[in-house]
Amino acid sequence: MEVIFRIKRFDGGSSYWDEFKVPINMTVLEALFYIKENIDSTLAFRAFCRMGICGSCAIRINKKPMLACETQISKLEKETIELEPLKNFNVIKDLVTDFEGFFKKQKLAKPYLIRKSKGEIQQTPKQLEEYYKYTLCIKCGACVSACPVAKRCLGPAPVVAAHRFNRDSRDEGKEERLKALSDHIWHCHFVSDCSEVCPKNLHPAEVVQKVRLEVLKFNLGW
Amino acid sequence: MSLNTIAFYLHRITGVVLSLYLCMHFTFLTSLKTGDYERLVKASKEFFVLHLLLFLACIYHGVNGIRLVIHEFGYMYKYRKILLYLTFVITFVIWVLFCWKVIK
Repeated sequence: MEVIFRIKRFDGGSSYWDEFKVPINMTVLEALFYIKENIDSTLAFRAFCRMGICGSCAIRINKKPMLACETQISKLEKETIELEPLKNFNVIKDLVTDFEGFFKKQKLAKPYLIRKSKGEIQQTPKQLEEYYKYTLCIKCGACVSACPVAKRCLGPAPVVAAHRFNRDSRDEGKEERLKALSDHIWHCHFVSDCSEVCPKNLHPAEVVQKVRLEVLKFNLGW
Repeated sequence: MSLNTIAFYLHRITGVVLSLYLCMHFTFLTSLKTGDYERLVKASKEFFVLHLLLFLACIYHGVNGIRLVIHEFGYMYKYRKILLYLTFVITFVIWVLFCWKVIK
């Protein structure tokens, strides 16, 4: 059995749709490799780990941002599958998008441990549990792609990164981080599509609301 | 387009509609000074259906606004989908009741 892949391609000047027939019994990423190896070697897409860890292969599959490596074609239950590059990112070629802006915004949220004191840092398993979930963010950009206001603001991913370090008992830079976020966090309209598409179920929409309250309390001096 | 996105765009559109209506309403109130009540009342009746639709926009914007405020204060996140469906249901029920009351 075969399905049709409609791929939105971009050659640097203009974008156009291309169609390919691919076997159904594989993941979307495997099908992209199948096209590249057997039909059209000029097709460009990004992939690395092929097991949902690196986040490189995030694309829009039937308008929904997903990891190509974790999506079985048969589970999509469609005869024609549309593949597009992530929204809110500049396209470099075909399905490859530019993540430079994304990582610039990440830096703004100071996603690293800020230590003022020196010495050995101890952490209990319970303290680790507080933030562990948020370390699972793979920076795939799916949440940013799903957000209708991400282009005008920070987007969900950097806020999740900031939240991860704010909850870390070893960190001493929460205030610094909240200060940095206070100008960028108010654009969220709780569309919550970021939570629906996050491949790691981190619920960025909930995190954004939590961080906003923290920023509000910080600004009011509570 | 997901229902979340539709709710977001509807909130924006109804917000713009209500702002425009507010401007028109102020203009209308100012024109009352002229004393041309009959013409104004007639015009108001001609736009009866539009008024009903305006009320629909008003209810949706209000109910959805309450939903957003609840979430923004960090409550009921787990029930976000139910609340979203409820927003549409509550909006429709209030609107139907309002229409029934007005037409009756």
